[in-house]
Amino acid sequence: MTRYRKQDPEITRRRFINAAMGTTATVGIVSLVGVLGTANPVFRLTRDKMPPVEGDILVHASASKEGEIIKVSELSEQLIRAWPMGKDKEGNNLIRKGDPNNVLALYRFPKGQIIAPTNLEATIDGEIVAYSDICTHAGCSVSDDDQTEGQMKCPCHSGQYDPKRGCKVVGGPPPRPLAQLPIKQDGDKLVVAGFFLENPYPFTESEWEARKEAVKAQLA
Amino acid sequence: MNQWLDERLHISRLNDKFLRKAFPVHHSFFLGEITLFSLIILIITGIVLALSYEPSNSLIVNSFDPGTADKPNLIPAAYHSALKMNAMPFGDMMRRVHHWTANIMVAAAVIHMMRIYFTGAFKKPREINWWIGMLLLIFAALTAVTGYILPYDNYAYNTVKVVYGIAASVPWVGSWLAQAAFAGNFPGDGIIPRIYGYHIMLLPGILLALTAAHMLLMIKQKHTQPQYAKRIAYKKIVGVPLLTQQTPIMLMLTLLFAGIIMLFSAFIPVHPVEFFGPPSTTPIENIKPDWYLLWVFGALAIIPSFEFHILGGIIGSEFVGAILLPTVVIGAMFAVPMLDRSKDNNYYAENPTNHPVRLAIGTSFMALLIIMSVAGYKPDLISANVLTTANANTVLWILMFVVPAATYFATIGIVRGIRALREADERESLSHSAAADD
Ligand code: FES
Repeated sequence: MTRYRKQDPEITRRRFINAAMGTTATVGIVSLVGVLGTANPVFRLTRDKMPPVEGDILVHASASKEGEIIKVSELSEQLIRAWPMGKDKEGNNLIRKGDPNNVLALYRFPKGQIIAPTNLEATIDGEIVAYSDICTHAGCSVSDDDQTEGQMKCPCHSGQYDPKRGCKVVGGPPPRPLAQLPIKQDGDKLVVAGFFLENPYPFTESEWEARKEAVKAQLA
Repeated sequence: MNQWLDERLHISRLNDKFLRKAFPVHHSFFLGEITLFSLIILIITGIVLALSYEPSNSLIVNSFDPGTADKPNLIPAAYHSALKMNAMPFGDMMRRVHHWTANIMVAAAVIHMMRIYFTGAFKKPREINWWIGMLLLIFAALTAVTGYILPYDNYAYNTVKVVYGIAASVPWVGSWLAQAAFAGNFPGDGIIPRIYGYHIMLLPGILLALTAAHMLLMIKQKHTQPQYAKRIAYKKIVGVPLLTQQTPIMLMLTLLFAGIIMLFSAFIPVHPVEFFGPPSTTPIENIKPDWYLLWVFGALAIIPSFEFHILGGIIGSEFVGAILLPTVVIGAMFAVPMLDRSKDNNYYAENPTNHPVRLAIGTSFMALLIIMSVAGYKPDLISANVLTTANANTVLWILMFVVPAATYFATIGIVRGIRALREADERESLSHSAAADD
């Protein structure tokens, strides 16, 4: 008499279901990663998205006066928001507001009030100073502090900056000071004298270096 | 006809299985239903709104105020369509109903969860449903936030900016993550279509699927039984069947609820898009999220500024305040069923005062969230001269520890007091009845 080894040629239902579920999950995750790859569009650096570059003229950013060239005489201890205005390929004026993070804050304080760590060489006569107006915390536009004269406050999570001392953080959650923008005077106009001295929001240091290189390469 | 249907669909089986599901009779059991009805109202009003909404942030000429030929007044198409909606008959009303219902849904869900927590209804075998409920809460909040952004006025613009900043603050993968989620660098051309997709397809789909799972589990596992059921029929299900007793109650509740929402919407305006205007560089003073996210906002307002660099990644206050901290809080809520080690299935809703520690932890947790939300009003407290810029953080930090601790001990004290009174009462009635027996 032959002895049959007990064997079950068919896979059990439970095994089948488990294997099927495993396969589905794997395929699903792999395809999800693929889909996420396409979710992120390519960034093209166009001239209207460039950060302020040397030679840009500062113009008003407030809705009522947008695009009008800012005169030195208009500046005061009240914040004035500005856009950098450069040239497009044809040489026409182009306001660089394609990237809303380009908005700037301008102040003019009586001589001697602006002190270190502000870079005084990058100001005009130690009186007029320009910063990125984008909070380094989560990217809101920073305003004048209605409580303390001559200070700045971010309305989003009440970050506070001191524009007379290099816009260092004096309260709230922002991790870094606002980036200072070197400026110079040309007649009654304000002109950008170079890139932001530190990385502005939303760049990290290395991203900012890379962006500066990309801008230089494109303008060269 | 019934027979014809029955032969094909086995209605009678459905009837036995589902339509006769017993509903416990207690008003606190209506909270879940209110949440469900809100979801339905939200979907219906949402569909109506979607019919007139234009999901695009490309700039078009404002037809209400076109400007001049050489200086046209350009606004985002999404914002323009919100303006047009407001100008339609009952358009503003529809937006208000949608908005109010969303708020009420979250509120009802939160109170529903409180009921579950305080009566111990999360215990075995209902842990899974607690977790699904948590997911529902999280996705409801996400849906609400994306909904906020759609009108694309200046308020929405600032909101999405902060949300983008939060996503980008994740160490190492942050900027990739934010770009993938919001279609490129902020504010890319595709940001509104992307968020529209989330708000009307992805998130509602998830919400509906989770809701279905939530309800099926509830039908399978039955409600916890209120205490009186123990006295009437021990270990039996006591309640009124869905058909025909519970249904009219539900209908009444729906109508009453819809009426209340209409009343709210008629008299309390919401989010005036005209007032905030199209996206601009002018920040909005005292911008705040909705009340259910205010605690995160408050945490961000009082967290000091810092930044660590670890292996090329940056860990900043933004990440800690807006991602790490909520994760810890939500994680703690997720862990609630695991703190209960009982092996038996829980049949009966427990009296909260019989579990003083659980009750006290719950109330002090709520106190903590309330204090954090108050911290969200830091700028307003400072301008009202209640606090000063110098002492605001210190005061709020101290309150954040002191108030929950005080709440904890106060709750325990009150419960002990109640219990002592109750026992004294019992002793007294016992001695009285003993005296009467003599
Ligand atoms: S964005 Fe400025 S404080 Fe948060």
